[in-house]
Amino acid sequence: MPKGSDPFLPLLAEVAEVRDLTPDIKLLRLSLREGRIDYRPGQFAILSAFGVGEAPFTFASLPEEGLEFAIRRMGTVTNALHNLGPGDLVGIRGPYGNTFPLEDYEGKDIIIIGGGIGIAPLRPLIHWFIKHRGDYGSLLIIYGARTPRDFAFSDEFDAWAGAGGARLELAIDPPGSPDWRGRVALVPAVVKELKPSPKNSIAITCGPPIMIHYVIEELRALGFSPGQIVTTLEAKMKCGMGKCMRCNVGDKYVCKDGPVFTADQISRLLEAF
Amino acid sequence: MKFISDKNLRKWLESLMGIGSLIAPMDLGPGLTLFSQIRDPGDVNLEYETTPIPPKDLFFPSSEALFRFSPSRGYEIPEIDGEAFLLGIRPCDALGIRLMDFPFLSEPADPRYERRRRRTTLIGLGCIKARPECFCTSFGIGPFDASNADAFLIPVKGGFLAEARTEKGAKALAAAELEEASIPIPKPPEVPSIDVGAVREVALSLFNSPYWERLADRCLSCKLCAYVCPSCYCFDIRDYPIRDGAERIRSWDSCQSPLFSRQASGYDPRQTKASRLRNRFYHKFSYFPGEFGAFGCTGCGRCVRYCPVNIDVREVLLAILRGEAKVA
Amino acid sequence: MEEIRAKAIELLRSGEVKCFIGYERASDGLTARPFFAYSADDAGRLIFDRTCAHNLARYLPDMRGQRVAILVKPCDSRSVNVLIQEGQVNREEVYVVGVVCDGVYKASWGQPSQELEARCLYCSRRVPVVYDHLIGQPPASEPQTPASIPEVEALERRSAKERWEFWRSHFARCIRCNACRQICPACYCPQCFSDQLDPLWTGIRIGLPQNWVWNVGRALHLAGRCADCGGCERACPMGIPLAALNRKLAGRVKELFGFEAGLDPRAPFPFATFKKEEVL
Repeated sequence: MPKGSDPFLPLLAEVAEVRDLTPDIKLLRLSLREGRIDYRPGQFAILSAFGVGEAPFTFASLPEEGLEFAIRRMGTVTNALHNLGPGDLVGIRGPYGNTFPLEDYEGKDIIIIGGGIGIAPLRPLIHWFIKHRGDYGSLLIIYGARTPRDFAFSDEFDAWAGAGGARLELAIDPPGSPDWRGRVALVPAVVKELKPSPKNSIAITCGPPIMIHYVIEELRALGFSPGQIVTTLEAKMKCGMGKCMRCNVGDKYVCKDGPVFTADQISRLLEAF
Repeated sequence: MKFISDKNLRKWLESLMGIGSLIAPMDLGPGLTLFSQIRDPGDVNLEYETTPIPPKDLFFPSSEALFRFSPSRGYEIPEIDGEAFLLGIRPCDALGIRLMDFPFLSEPADPRYERRRRRTTLIGLGCIKARPECFCTSFGIGPFDASNADAFLIPVKGGFLAEARTEKGAKALAAAELEEASIPIPKPPEVPSIDVGAVREVALSLFNSPYWERLADRCLSCKLCAYVCPSCYCFDIRDYPIRDGAERIRSWDSCQSPLFSRQASGYDPRQTKASRLRNRFYHKFSYFPGEFGAFGCTGCGRCVRYCPVNIDVREVLLAILRGEAKVA
Repeated sequence: MEEIRAKAIELLRSGEVKCFIGYERASDGLTARPFFAYSADDAGRLIFDRTCAHNLARYLPDMRGQRVAILVKPCDSRSVNVLIQEGQVNREEVYVVGVVCDGVYKASWGQPSQELEARCLYCSRRVPVVYDHLIGQPPASEPQTPASIPEVEALERRSAKERWEFWRSHFARCIRCNACRQICPACYCPQCFSDQLDPLWTGIRIGLPQNWVWNVGRALHLAGRCADCGGCERACPMGIPLAALNRKLAGRVKELFGFEAGLDPRAPFPFATFKKEEVL
């Protein structure tokens, strides 16, 4: 069977670099041994830890930055991926899913709201907006984590909040980190407190489902229309192609119709996500 | 239509077995018939009532290796070759295969399914008796519907009326000693029909009905309904470690399993039994038609017959249509 | 039947229970299926006859935290005890309506039968071992327990090789639909060993080695816990004689430990009790 015609055969890649982002999140930088993967922010790939299995991960970098994935240790596959070192083989197939329509956001104020590992799909967006600063209005980044050690990409915070002019607001919850001088609050509460203006704005959020739920609620209360709120969902997936029937939310597939949805689209989904 | 006598049937089956593998209903025990690889044409039972498992596993096996991988040898992909004749499939099961084509042959097509489909000739068999669970006529087919088969047989006295529907079917029948048929086509049995036309629209307004919770009270959350269903195709993919690499296995799975959509984090969009049971019916009667333009059910009634607690899809359809499932 | 309905109506009306778990007529008009009655209206649908084969104790762990009533035959009542014994059911939350039973029929959906189920032929109990209210007239004495079970004996007479072949051919057919597990009152584990990925006991693969591990593992986990309701075998769409394995193991547990599942909710479990004199 020629390889190109089999959508279940992953391309082979090597782990080029592994970096600890937090105690339970690692950044895996991959280099393809063969073929190429052209993707846009928002899309995801399915990574293989051979001998254990596959799981979907969003691209955590812009295509020109190389293939990077931020992986939180959660189950058997992520555990196996965490145990890999430079030179180890992984499989990768994709890209799958839809993308953030970045052109549509041009000229608008951007609010990025992330929680925990939900920062992974938002990181390439942050990089994009900083890189194309002139094409967009103001940039506000709200990022919450459990403890100060749980912020991924903290080495990039200066760059995010630096010359580009983005405003970065960090918050932890629960309290109990003595060295933390910043906010102690849940992400939706930070949104409520900062009151970003809905005027000519787009809010993009990703995090645990319960956080997304309340962030959408807070944004709606601030006057954001459902079409101005964009999120990217996570679901258990096996195929990535709308065939295994695992990720459907009502009649939509997270893998094919998503993972990027507006709050408007979410409100029309049959099932709560 | 042509006629093939009982006497000539055996010879025909032997010649088909000379061309490829023959898969047909075979009795394996009291009350148990299964589609099996035939070694002796005498084992074929064309008077069978039903099989617990539809012939979907010939195209979408209950378990198969997608590939083996090892760093030294790279990928090894199991070969699928040779011809196959699937003999004696009922119109409902032939429709099931057509329905399975939608997800597996739509882009990107599944090459394993595609190969198996291409190499197989479907030889259908008319039903001269209807079972109490049959309701195939609800889905545009009937006991003698030949439209999804390559060739079709109707049992008559002393043999079968035979008709080729496609080139593949003609080729298979060419191996038989056929006579001109002097026997008229018998009258097919009556099969009750449910007017399902409106189900999709009506169902959408019943999503939050307490009906689903009550129905789910007795549901066991097993996967039996999906595994006996000719049009259920949920699957799981996992690796098995082998000496110096991995074997990637795809197996049947079902949205009825409590683990099906549970993420590693523990989050599950369908946590309750009722939401899972509802998903099965909505997929068949709302989402699948929305995506592919056909209901995801063939009216074979296997789920009705085999569900250990009698969750009867016909009752569900009628409850939806009669508005019994209305939102309180 | 009327007595059951009346009792259900009484319990539901008084608010003593939220739900009465019993049987109603199945969609074939011939056999029975489990039924959850929440109101006096619902209770009118309750039935009981010799087609009521299901062991409803299976539903009790799902209902934890609520007061429910349940209809049990003698075999089912032993499962209720097993669940109490294992801490899965709180006795105070369950109102047990016992029913005197002369055995149930082999019927399956759409296929009536008046032949007794195999287990009923040698069952030695007509009266449930636990109940709050009894329906039916208990016999003057319970029937004799048979020394052995014919189907188990028949298997024991075969050679080891023949038995191996017998189970091989049956397990090869298993499609691992989990119906046997999901219908079993004793299979309530939040995560079954067969669903576990690490260690990988069976994984998702459906094939003889995995099916073997599953079916043997299942039977072993039920030793000393199975009340012989026959639910697993009845549920199996592939005709695997699962109950024979359960019966064999129940017999061994009785021989070795003098223990029968579910007779006494306070009795220690043979496999959860260590006695110093036991030789490992």
